[in-house]
Amino acid sequence: MNPIGGEAMPLVLAAAGGGDLGPAMQRFVLQMAVILLAARLGGRLTERWLRLPAVVGELVAGILIGPYLLGGWSVPGLGPLFPLPAEGFPITPELYAIATLASLLLLFLAGLETDIDLFLRFSGAGSLVGLGGLVLSMAAGIGTALVFGLADHALDPAALFLGVVCCAASVGIPARVLAERRRTDSPEGVTILTGAVISDVFGVVLLAVVIAVARAGEGGEPVPWLRLGGMALRAVVIWVACTVIGVVSGRRIGRALKALGSLDVAASVALGLALLLAGAIESVGLAMILGAYLLGFSLSRTDMVHEIRRPLRGAAQVLVPVFFCVMGMLIDPAVLWGVVGAGLVFTAVSLAAKVVGCGLPAWFRGFNLRGALRIGMGMSPRGEVALIAAGIGLSSGVAGPEVFGMAVGMALLTVVIAPPVLARLLDGGSGLRRGVAAHEPTAEIALDLPSADLAEFLLGRVQRIFRDEEFFVHALSDTPPVFQIRKDDMVFTLELSEARIRLTCPKRFEHIARMMVLEELLSLKDLAEAAAQLRDPAALGGRLVDRLF
Amino acid sequence: MDFTRVLTEETVSVALRAGEKPAAIEEMLDLVMAGGGVRDRAAALAALLDREARMSTGMQHGMALPHAKTDAVDHLRAAVGISPEGIPFDSLDGEPARILIMTLSPLNRTGPHIQFLAEIGRLLSSPAARARVLAARTPAELLAILREPAA
Repeated sequence: MNPIGGEAMPLVLAAAGGGDLGPAMQRFVLQMAVILLAARLGGRLTERWLRLPAVVGELVAGILIGPYLLGGWSVPGLGPLFPLPAEGFPITPELYAIATLASLLLLFLAGLETDIDLFLRFSGAGSLVGLGGLVLSMAAGIGTALVFGLADHALDPAALFLGVVCCAASVGIPARVLAERRRTDSPEGVTILTGAVISDVFGVVLLAVVIAVARAGEGGEPVPWLRLGGMALRAVVIWVACTVIGVVSGRRIGRALKALGSLDVAASVALGLALLLAGAIESVGLAMILGAYLLGFSLSRTDMVHEIRRPLRGAAQVLVPVFFCVMGMLIDPAVLWGVVGAGLVFTAVSLAAKVVGCGLPAWFRGFNLRGALRIGMGMSPRGEVALIAAGIGLSSGVAGPEVFGMAVGMALLTVVIAPPVLARLLDGGSGLRRGVAAHEPTAEIALDLPSADLAEFLLGRVQRIFRDEEFFVHALSDTPPVFQIRKDDMVFTLELSEARIRLTCPKRFEHIARMMVLEELLSLKDLAEAAAQLRDPAALGGRLVDRLF
Repeated sequence: MDFTRVLTEETVSVALRAGEKPAAIEEMLDLVMAGGGVRDRAAALAALLDREARMSTGMQHGMALPHAKTDAVDHLRAAVGISPEGIPFDSLDGEPARILIMTLSPLNRTGPHIQFLAEIGRLLSSPAARARVLAARTPAELLAILREPAA
């Protein structure tokens, strides 16, 4: 039932090599090489040529190189690179361990990237939208499982599992579409991103409950409602307690990490703590990813969050494609072919569940039909969390290969279908009904400089003056240049387009923004006067002109 | 941010005597000096006048925020002064300055210096807050009013 569990799986490598780990390690390194290359190539191809998120290509690459297809072919002198074991889990524990580490890192980063302030400020509309989507998604998953005979009753772990996978939402995929259309700050954008975070948080908690239910009900008998309720309550209590402790002590942990002196060391220590909490959470019967996510969430409020993220992001860029690729390797195409009809129905039902489940509450909260559809479609792509949930489902024995294939297929198809539809829906007017007030007022300072060069120069100076005032400045994007500047609860966005510099912030902090920019402009005046004396390069010495020709 | 921590009864005044801008800046600088920590009065004054020369720090509604970065201090130093009669300060709206806030911040050290100035400015951005400050009769009273949480 639990092929990956610690004691059930002795170190296969050591056994295979008869004590000498060399050949086994060589195979492992070759496997990783093929996975890395295939994942990157697949991701790049789908991004470049199909204009789809890289995850699609990474998953498909995994299916292709996996033990069921190319990986099962014999290579001269080596045998099959990814041999399919006679029974049990299709890949080795080492590969699955790397994937697990990647998923924990990914969830830790997702937690770090959660903007708690934004979360709380907009949790009204966001949580209604998120919860509406959750209820219908859970129903959609359970319903599909029952209709296609994959489960005997609604509380069957397989049915609950499909429901959980269906609940997940991607933050990154709609975020990219919204950013491309400059709609991140729009009421729909904020609602989608908050709703997606809420879906993921509850998705992770629900997954924890389902795993616990599956472990309790291994006899195949339905778990009594009372026990189920008890387990759910336990999961929620642990989750709430950890969240409260985390949020309260987050800044203290942040200060302690800062005291380490080096941001790289702080990042490793933070990840270490995340893994520690993950292990602790698993030991009380909940899913590990919950622990990693919670620690990230706790630290998301500290002002050094961007600095810890940078080195970890580097690691994630290498490991996360490996995770998606390994998820693809777990798919048996023959099994997938067998459930293609059920999978397509599941995808359609999943799309409908989010569009209706999220769109309807949005409509009640003052959005018009266009806005409600945007929000529903924005919540539709099931991203990383669905795939992580699918992997945990398969490795813990909750889901069989059929159910796993359906889950991954649905996650993949929603990622392919929803973003272009969302992009199309974002064209056009306001998504709010008439007379509904927009979100918290923001202030904008726009400066039109005489030249793009000067604007770029001033952009650097503005960042410096914020750094001098002990703010953290972090680049969100290189082209066009966008920076986020934060300290405590203050957040500023600094952007450059052509010769125009825009500084935006909540109205409450406008006075600080104005004062900073004013002081910098005044010191620039001095610089301009000094620069005026530069007209004759020869006067500087250094004989710049002399030896040119 | 608790900016009142850098203020003491020695560094606040409810009765500035100066009638003109340069004299007012000197009088405010003497208040800052009374709190200690300023090594070089001449250098600090030069920096303050230099900043005024670029653009007057006379804001609107009778507020003036003369400030400078200088090597003469190691930490943020500040003073708050009230002028009952008002001092012509080349302000944005032409009104004489009645509430003066001076800060000196170290040249090459990071810290919330401009932020400090901006926070005081915001605190005194409402007519009611300014009226309360102007009604203070003694340095102790002024300090107490500044320390009240922003209404």
